[in-house]
Amino acid sequence: MINVIIIFIGILMAISAIFAVESKKIIDSFIALSLMSLLSVFLFVIMKAPDVAITEASVGAGLTTAVLVLALRKIGGDKE
Amino acid sequence: MNVLNYIYFILVGFGVLFSFLRMLLGPTSADRLAALDTLNVVLTGTIVFLALVFKNGLYLDIALVYGLLSFVETVLIARYLEGKK
Repeated sequence: MINVIIIFIGILMAISAIFAVESKKIIDSFIALSLMSLLSVFLFVIMKAPDVAITEASVGAGLTTAVLVLALRKIGGDKE
Repeated sequence: MNVLNYIYFILVGFGVLFSFLRMLLGPTSADRLAALDTLNVVLTGTIVFLALVFKNGLYLDIALVYGLLSFVETVLIARYLEGKK
């Protein structure tokens, strides 16, 4: 049961990382990166590492997305 | 694990799969953001359910921290999408 959940979440993480690299618009890439961080937090919880999960949640969901979106707004959006 | 946990994880797996498909092939960025918010809510509830399964109260703190930070993240990306044009 646990192995099935780990393989499912791992496949979704790999697809999300490939989408974050290959996306056309920058904001879609940020959304896929945040989704990969969320799946990573869930995988840490499954593997019984709560302290790593708290650190990954505060860095991946809050800090990284805030810094990236504010920097994208400051340079004036994504132009093709 | 009893049979209720299997039913819960199968239903959550279908929800995560279809919401992930919407994140992959959504036409606009707003569809992808709505799918990401749905996944945030579903997986935060699943972390609370895992705190019940593992019988460990430390997992509730992860759900609390991630719930607050995912709200901030959704509001930031939505304000960027609103002020784009």
